[in-house]
Amino acid sequence: MAHFAKLGANSKVIQVLTLNNGDMLNADGVEDETVGQQYLETHNNWPAQMWIQTSYNTSGGTHNNGGTALRGNYAGIGYTWDEDDQIFWPKKPYASWVKHNASASWKSPIGDAPALTAEQESQNTADTHRWGYVWNEANTTWDLTDSKA
Amino acid sequence: MQKKVLTEQSLYYGDVDMPKDWDIDRDKLSGDILQSVIQNKDFPFSRTWDMLNTYMRDHVGLEYGVNLINKETWGNIYKPSETTIPLLNIDPVDLRNSPDFTMLYGVKVKDCFVRIHYEDNRRKGRSWDIELKNNMFIMFPSTNMYYLTNNQKDSLNFVQTITYEYI
Repeated sequence: MAHFAKLGANSKVIQVLTLNNGDMLNADGVEDETVGQQYLETHNNWPAQMWIQTSYNTSGGTHNNGGTALRGNYAGIGYTWDEDDQIFWPKKPYASWVKHNASASWKSPIGDAPALTAEQESQNTADTHRWGYVWNEANTTWDLTDSKA
Repeated sequence: MQKKVLTEQSLYYGDVDMPKDWDIDRDKLSGDILQSVIQNKDFPFSRTWDMLNTYMRDHVGLEYGVNLINKETWGNIYKPSETTIPLLNIDPVDLRNSPDFTMLYGVKVKDCFVRIHYEDNRRKGRSWDIELKNNMFIMFPSTNMYYLTNNQKDSLNFVQTITYEYI
């Protein structure tokens, strides 16, 4: 089963459809994205070039089953297709975050949240605290919070 | 102090912004409207109608998270200077089978105005006017009474209506 994202204005994903693999075989019997696009144009009344194949098993730039990742992430409604980088981007979580192509994800301008200390981890494990870092967009910092406090 | 919204009335309107060279074939739609009105038959399914309908369902779902299901569709022709009677697309004694939304699409229109009536708590009898232009849609709750006015003396106005239920 193949999956195709339907693109609307501004390359936004407006629908994701499945397609039988048999409907995207070329004359040599090989799966071909352009054949699938043509099939979808004919049957779904939307131009072929605005159907982009996406992989159900791809997320964060990697294939979940060890295969070849395709286009960064499995497209979802509201995602944006980046033709230059060949990546489906989810919605930007915060205004200050930037694209990180290698992991096909958004990263804070100061990088990932710091790791919790061993003590914090053990307190989380003991369920006496629930330490975690939360992004503070106003100060562009990672704030340590205890959601159990 | 907190606020809780118990109900709201949402109206959606705008142009049907199709991809380049994939515009809605409004000649086809107006021909189908004419045919269905003259022959008093159901509006025929067509590729063009499906493009319009799919556009509406996809984009309202994408932008506002409202999933629409089709109920009915028909086309109307309004004579020059005609003002319709007040229209209501729900059956007050059969709300279960009535649509949630009414969508009007300007197939071939000129000086076509839609007046949508609504109530704002004790402020009854309010209305909102909007001009329906070619290739433009207006979607509003079917519980709202509305009427259309063809505000010129030269040509017929062709309007496509699709009603929807949401889930």
